[in-house]
Amino acid sequence: MKGIEAVRAYQEELIESIPSSIIILDRGLKILYANRNYYVKSGKKEREVIGERLERVFSSMLIEKTRLDEKIRRVFDTGIPFSGDQLRYPGGLFFFYKIHPLKEVDMSLRRVMLLMEDITELTRLEEEVRDSYGKLENAYAELKEEDEVKSDFISTASHELRTPLTVINSYLEMFEDGMLGELDEKQRDKLAIMRSQTDHMIRLVEDMLDTLRLESRKFKIQKYPLKLENIAKSAVEEISKLADLKEHTMSLKTNGELHEIKGDAQRIKQVFNNLLTNAVKYTSNKGRIEVEIKEEKKHILVSISDTGMGIPEEEHEKIFEKFYTVGGKSLMRESERMGLGLTIAKGIVEAHGGRIWVKSDGEGKGSTFYFTLPKGD
Amino acid sequence: MLKLLVVDDAPHVLKALRDTLEAHGYEVHEAVNGEEAVTRYREVRPDVVLMDILMPKMDGISATRNIIDCDPDAKIIAVTAVGKRGLEKECIEAGASGFVMKPFKTKDLIDTINSLGNDERN
Repeated sequence: MKGIEAVRAYQEELIESIPSSIIILDRGLKILYANRNYYVKSGKKEREVIGERLERVFSSMLIEKTRLDEKIRRVFDTGIPFSGDQLRYPGGLFFFYKIHPLKEVDMSLRRVMLLMEDITELTRLEEEVRDSYGKLENAYAELKEEDEVKSDFISTASHELRTPLTVINSYLEMFEDGMLGELDEKQRDKLAIMRSQTDHMIRLVEDMLDTLRLESRKFKIQKYPLKLENIAKSAVEEISKLADLKEHTMSLKTNGELHEIKGDAQRIKQVFNNLLTNAVKYTSNKGRIEVEIKEEKKHILVSISDTGMGIPEEEHEKIFEKFYTVGGKSLMRESERMGLGLTIAKGIVEAHGGRIWVKSDGEGKGSTFYFTLPKGD
Repeated sequence: MLKLLVVDDAPHVLKALRDTLEAHGYEVHEAVNGEEAVTRYREVRPDVVLMDILMPKMDGISATRNIIDCDPDAKIIAVTAVGKRGLEKECIEAGASGFVMKPFKTKDLIDTINSLGNDERN
């Protein structure tokens, strides 16, 4: 007996102390019991509640809105618990309530329990989250739209530029080929400048489109088996004409093996071209440019080192950003290209699942660009 | 002498192409949109067509399809400033035999024209 009494005392204490309101009603919807939490939440006194009918304790508006009386009656009729609904109290309070049948020892049903939980704070948080989410969604949609407008603009501008460039390029070629009469040396000299500037403009248009493509989420690399050394060799050969003008020595170092990887040959060649062009450009005459291909555990490591002007450490990451040029303005005079070459190289390497970075001991000490490409299967 | 039909809605491009190609010994005929290209093709029966893609009235892809419909052996080279991904495939599927991006190197264009034009004569 003592044990049972103790358990009962625990139960009572438990019911009194839980942070939910509990009300017990009989079939006549008369309130038989309410726990401490209910009095705290409702501000009502025991004598205003116990023995009173539901509609005298809860406002008629609330009962009408929730059909609470009907729901309780249904639980009495069916013996099936009502699994819950939200209830809005005057003053911005939110409750979640459940109705549970309390069966007697003989299985008869004379009492039900109304359980109410204060979810005001939860509801407020939920609303806040929903609100923030909505704001985020709007901001994202706006950004996306702006981005699309920007992309469309660059795309259209590039295509529009190609048409006049076609015309200029065609007539330049006719002049160069002597189809429009013989040119004297002075004319040839100026024509060469027009040619280099036109090529520069064509390159720029291509670079702008490439940057746009690489930034697009839709961008995918078409991967086919290729031999990395062959690509490096043809890039070095191409750039050597440019390097000869500055009397650089260029070399390609491999271990004699041909490494087969999977990738887009044209794009990987673009990486070599961009890095080599930079090396030639940013190294003063009679420099040394070395390309090395090494096999490592999981990938092939390519390094392109020069004896050029070097890159201060704080710029080692920035140089891969769009239109960034080492040393800022001062170099723009020497440099013909806007800083898109490294951005494109980074985009291509990363699209292949590789990494690109630079090491340089600082100004005047040369730099080495590294990039990795995953090994073929 | 190979007979060419050059289709482009930009007058300066047409003129530049005519000047360049005539200087290289080709007979050049012109059309300024896809619709005209189809009509001119029937009249001229060129060896090779240089077809711009973005044009008013009828674009180059529809014009290519129309020409291939009436002459399945027509040799058409798409010459376009639009660098949209998948466009080359679309042109080839419409029946084009070649694809050249603007601006092009004259030598590349001429190589493409000759490879198709001479192919037809064999």
